[in-house]
Amino acid sequence: MTLIQPVGALSFMALSVVLFSLGLYGALSRKSTVMVLMSLELMANAININLVALSRFSAPAEMTGQFFAVFSMVVSAAEIGLGLALVLALYRQRKTVEIDAMQELKG
Amino acid sequence: MSALAWFIPEYLLLAGAFFALFAELIVRREGVAAAAGALFASLAALSALAIGVRPAAFGGVLELDQVSVTVRVVLATLSAVYLLWLAGRGMAPERSREAAAFVLLATLGGMLMVAARDLMVLFVSIELATMPAYLLMGYRRDDEHTLEGALKYFLLSMTTSLVMLYGFSFLFGIAGSTSFAAIAEAPGAGLLGAFSAVFVFVGLLAKMSAAPFHYWAPDAYAGASPASVAFVSTVPKLAGAAVMVRLAVILVPGVPALPTVFAVASLASMLLGNLAAFPQSDVRRLMAYSGVAHTGYMLLALSAGSAAGNAAAIYYTIAYAAPSMAIMLLAAEEGTAVDDFAGLAARRPAAAWTSVVLLLSLVGVPPMVGMFGKLVLFTAALDAGRLALVLVAVAMSVVSAGYYFRVLRAAFFVGGRAERVPRVLPAAVAVALLTAATLALGVFTGPLVRWLTAAF
Repeated sequence: MTLIQPVGALSFMALSVVLFSLGLYGALSRKSTVMVLMSLELMANAININLVALSRFSAPAEMTGQFFAVFSMVVSAAEIGLGLALVLALYRQRKTVEIDAMQELKG
Repeated sequence: MSALAWFIPEYLLLAGAFFALFAELIVRREGVAAAAGALFASLAALSALAIGVRPAAFGGVLELDQVSVTVRVVLATLSAVYLLWLAGRGMAPERSREAAAFVLLATLGGMLMVAARDLMVLFVSIELATMPAYLLMGYRRDDEHTLEGALKYFLLSMTTSLVMLYGFSFLFGIAGSTSFAAIAEAPGAGLLGAFSAVFVFVGLLAKMSAAPFHYWAPDAYAGASPASVAFVSTVPKLAGAAVMVRLAVILVPGVPALPTVFAVASLASMLLGNLAAFPQSDVRRLMAYSGVAHTGYMLLALSAGSAAGNAAAIYYTIAYAAPSMAIMLLAAEEGTAVDDFAGLAARRPAAAWTSVVLLLSLVGVPPMVGMFGKLVLFTAALDAGRLALVLVAVAMSVVSAGYYFRVLRAAFFVGGRAERVPRVLPAAVAVALLTAATLALGVFTGPLVRWLTAAF
């Protein structure tokens, strides 16, 4: 018996669900926009784990999921860069990144 | 002709986007970039029309069926008209060359979205269409309202993109492939299939600003410059509607509850959008809520779950896009408050009568295109037995006349400032073209809807 047991697809999916839920909870509840961006990153990583794991267990030969994960990483890196640029531009105007400060537009 | 040549419109848009960034270094005049962009976009529209329907290409990841062809021609035409307006008026106080490039890139993303037959291509092209939209919404870098609106738009849009992508990852897991054909043929996946379909459509509904995921739209629009809103609220929305229809076609057989989800979202959007638009005094906010309502009508067609309903959803979104863009362009010229339209009939009679045509089309008064859009939509929904929802939709159309007429009342019956904005020919031509389309497109309803129906 080896110490390392083979891990099934379900374990990876469970990990991904937990990470995704943590990220979604953070994105909806955090007060600082930087923390919200980090939570979004967590959600993106949960998706990547899901893609790679599902690819490994459903169609390992084609590696579609791995390619999909690479695309998703590049796109989310670009999005986070854009988001940080927006946060930075807003910080220069207001000297704060708190969500609660964003009450100027309402209705 | 090789498959590479079928995507000449996309190459033209990409070339136009890069050219727009540098055009003003060659010819030192404000507006050259947008004018060049308009030229590239209109060439793209013409070539898309000439290329027409083509079978699946590149291993089946892209396909040009009737819907893709129609939507890509309309997308390129709308962005050409928009850039024509931009060439005349610009994005004051900022320079407009980056805006021209962003518009072309977003249109490119939209055109790929409607041709995509693979989750990976679809995801990348959705992002290509939305990322320039964030930049357009936050275009005034030193205005904190603009930045706040853009950041709200960005945070919500990215969250919903990720929710949608999570759905995509499960769809891929079920089918073992990212191609739409394989997903449509995948055996009924039960709970996991329903779960992933809900994730995908929650993401898409939020992007289309359907209730109950609409709350970002009024804030984001009210912060942005009206010229940005004119583009962001129409072109990406049309591409999004086409994608929703496409995904509904492949997912509804496996998840029979989806039409009910659309019906509920439709009811919520129609009620909330139309009632919340009433107290608004800002044209951008008013149009944001009216956009929520129009998404509701579109979803009503989608909830029919028939070929006629799918075609009606796309036709209706086209019929909504043209007048809605023109109204926002007029707001960009006149001012963003409803009161800024006061005295419009006295100082610019042509613009005032134009807004009559545009707003009546949004209400659905004949002979404008909006009425024909509602007609095909209600017919499809009635055939599917959604009588109650159609009655709500008709009642809400009547209600919507109330807030659209407030703009007209200001324009015709309230005295306002006398000095008028300087006349600019390209901008006037752009608005006139959109108005002419609003007036004349209704004539082609029958053939166009039949042609769209053939795709399903």
